[in-house]
Amino acid sequence: MNIFLHEFKSYLKSVGIWSVAIFLIILVYFSAFNSIAAEAELLTEMMASFPEELLIAFGMTNMDFSSVLGFYGVVFLFCQVCLAIQAANYGFSLVSIEEREFTADFLLAKPVGRRKILTNKLLAAFLSLTLTNLTVWISSFVVINLVRDGRSYDAKSLVMILLTIVIFQLFFLSVGLLISLLMKRVRSVTPLSLALAFGMYVLSVFGSMLGEDKLEIISPFTHFDPNYILQNAAYDFPLPLISMGVIIIAIPVSFLLYQKRNIASAV
Amino acid sequence: MRIYFRELKANFKSLLIYIGITGLFVVIGFAKFSAYADNPELLEMLDSMPQALLDSFNVNAFNLTTVTGFFGVMYAFLGLIMAIAAVMWSSDIITKEERDKTVEFSLALPIKRSTLITAKAAAAFTNCILLALAAWGFNWISADSYNPSPEFYKFLTLGMVALVVLQMIFLAIGLFLGCALKKHKQAGSVAISILLGSYLASSLSGLKEEWEFLKYFSPFEYFDPALILHESRIELVYLWISAGIIVVFLAGAYLTYSKRDLYI
Repeated sequence: MNIFLHEFKSYLKSVGIWSVAIFLIILVYFSAFNSIAAEAELLTEMMASFPEELLIAFGMTNMDFSSVLGFYGVVFLFCQVCLAIQAANYGFSLVSIEEREFTADFLLAKPVGRRKILTNKLLAAFLSLTLTNLTVWISSFVVINLVRDGRSYDAKSLVMILLTIVIFQLFFLSVGLLISLLMKRVRSVTPLSLALAFGMYVLSVFGSMLGEDKLEIISPFTHFDPNYILQNAAYDFPLPLISMGVIIIAIPVSFLLYQKRNIASAV
Repeated sequence: MRIYFRELKANFKSLLIYIGITGLFVVIGFAKFSAYADNPELLEMLDSMPQALLDSFNVNAFNLTTVTGFFGVMYAFLGLIMAIAAVMWSSDIITKEERDKTVEFSLALPIKRSTLITAKAAAAFTNCILLALAAWGFNWISADSYNPSPEFYKFLTLGMVALVVLQMIFLAIGLFLGCALKKHKQAGSVAISILLGSYLASSLSGLKEEWEFLKYFSPFEYFDPALILHESRIELVYLWISAGIIVVFLAGAYLTYSKRDLYI
């Protein structure tokens, strides 16, 4: 319990910053919504008459800026990028921070098993991510209801999109943790977490822009594409299962690796 | 000079990783392009569209069935990857000394702090140039099999020069943050927040007319690939802004580091 509380406290500030950042992103984008929606209605009508291939080629499918949720789909993508970076950050630093700051000897000398340490750390990180998750839920509903100006929206689809966040976060948390344990030494966390988060983002966005699934099916951004969920009011099965599978594999393997890890101590 | 080579060596692995990511990205991109290359249906469709309509959607800037147009679309992503590399390298190259507790050693060397910064900045800059060269090479080789027009090579080269300027902006910002922030641990995350913020600003600037001014705050908007392609030039005002940003942040880095109180 001490480890859990200590870890959780050390996350609080970071959770606060990320939550505020995501809230601001949603707020700022939606403050432009009303002026765009009016123009977008015209645009959507015109686009409906376009041939499908053309829209795909220019990445204009599934875009409907005139409806609340169509616009939300675009905003949510940016939230996803932030959530991915945050979760990957936590994952990469979860155990590596102890070795970097020479506190690993102290921690491991405590009368608790490594399994318990990792469990507590994971739970604390997960709780922190969940707080951010909650902020996304609350700010989405509040901001949408503030600006929608009488336009209706389908609350069920919105909930469906928001529900994906948990798995999305867990994916980056567990993959980050796994990679950090596979490395001999993690010198700094940010480049790694950025590479993971942005790599997946670019893969997915660039891939969907041109249709045709190739490598982007490994990206959670593809698994939980908000536009797909909005259009079909369903998840893009079996793609989300890939994410879940990765999580289910990554966490036990991380435990195994951590049990056996050789910890470099301070000189 | 020794510090310069030492830093190059220390960053070599990271350089290779970024080159790998860029190469992978370009290769995947061109693999996708093969579906569009000279696709007659798509071309016909584009031709049948009224010109005014295409212009109003700004889709006319790039014709995806040509290598040139395709590269124009990849360009923004390439810029993002290279900017991240630049900002990470430059902030890390300063702060890692304090993180790895080697800063006392470095600063006890019989050289001025400003010389140290110069050597480190030069090493990071060399890496940026190497990454840009690699990206240029990857694109050249991948595009070659599609027999691109001579115009493409001009676009590619000028585009890469523009990306090097973009890298230099973020290099200067990263260097400054590494030197100026009291808590060395924060430099990386602050640098990334700035990068993300400017990426968001660039997307916001297109949303609403009143927000257009935001593009002056986002280096990602400075080098418009459409302009580079169609008129082979970069808007002069943005070059001046870029130069201004680079000079100010570099000067700031030297000033703050010469007075820095070390965290040991």
